[in-house]
Amino acid sequence: MKEFPRLLLALTLIAAISGAILALVEQATREPIKEQRRQQMLRALSAVLPQFDNSPDADTLTITTGTDRHGNPVDTTFYRGRKDNQITGTAFQVVAPDGYSGNIAVMVGIRPDHSVHAIEILTHAETPGLGDKISEPWYKELFSDKTLGGSDWRVKKDGGDFDQLTGATISARAVVGAVRTGLELYREHEDKIIAQGDGQ
Amino acid sequence: MSLAHDFNRGIWKENAVFKLLLGLCPVLAVTTSAENGLGMGLATTFVLVCSNAVVAMMRHLIPDKVRIPCFILIIASFVTVVQLTMEAYAYDLFQALGIFIPLIVCNCLILGRAEAFASKHPVTNAVADGLGMGAGFTLVLFILGSIRELVGAGEFLGFSIFGADYQPVILMILPPGAFITLGLLLALMNKVEKR
Repeated sequence: MKEFPRLLLALTLIAAISGAILALVEQATREPIKEQRRQQMLRALSAVLPQFDNSPDADTLTITTGTDRHGNPVDTTFYRGRKDNQITGTAFQVVAPDGYSGNIAVMVGIRPDHSVHAIEILTHAETPGLGDKISEPWYKELFSDKTLGGSDWRVKKDGGDFDQLTGATISARAVVGAVRTGLELYREHEDKIIAQGDGQ
Repeated sequence: MSLAHDFNRGIWKENAVFKLLLGLCPVLAVTTSAENGLGMGLATTFVLVCSNAVVAMMRHLIPDKVRIPCFILIIASFVTVVQLTMEAYAYDLFQALGIFIPLIVCNCLILGRAEAFASKHPVTNAVADGLGMGAGFTLVLFILGSIRELVGAGEFLGFSIFGADYQPVILMILPPGAFITLGLLLALMNKVEKR
């Protein structure tokens, strides 16, 4: 038992020093990391929104759009792109829970006339070489100009209008479902998105 | 024991992956491209060198009974430093490597060197050992990543090598490709050694 305080002291000391160093590093990297995340968000927003001259990441509206399976509210943040103060498009993130491996986060950009301008895949863990084709430009372009009423929002294999990917039907099905959910969300909350926009 | 000897040993004679088969989880998981392999190798090398240095520095202060938690604490701190720095300044690589950066903590190569070498040798030798082991590890990850990227995607460091007509062997990018490539490389190594 005599060496017990020594063990305690050594561990405490090392833990304290580690903690101090980590606190310093965290402080030094906090701003750059925030900036990196913001840049990534801006890149995604520029990719999915029609021309804009405002900062869409500062012109946002967060609405509770549903509940998850535990009954907790799920918030969606809508980013508005404007040109000459007119809304040119709205972008927001939709998560497809039914990817082949994990969630697929899709950013959809929707024009005021309820058509898709463009989509961007934010994060996914689909199979390299098969499912990850969802993030290739030609695949994302399939969704441009599509509207809820104008297309059958299923993959061709299920009788719909959208190409599936060879060997990765599940990934394609998840993305198609997510974009459709996005369009429905937009239709449901359009009043609030447009209305709140003019007041600022 | 010369410093050069401590350094060289890690690259070939006691290469962590080829000879000791240590740290296989990142070796197999992140080597889908040459760039990922290189990034992972360098991140691991940094942690390895730093933890070796600190462990060697404190080798007389750390009581034997709690040495493992102490080593882990030191390693985990450096891993977190790497993770934060990468997220701040190499965001794309950070996203490509994903969960495997925090998992460097449990790379048995690092704890292994702390326990087997750094805790028994002076700082300079421990650093040389860390650099050597890290270089050997990085080399293997880079070779493995290059082969898999070349065959599995027809590219090298993101540049198309075989042209648009090449039919990539997707299997090589998938997990089985990692095992197949590593197995073939090991077989080749043994063949060369036997000569």
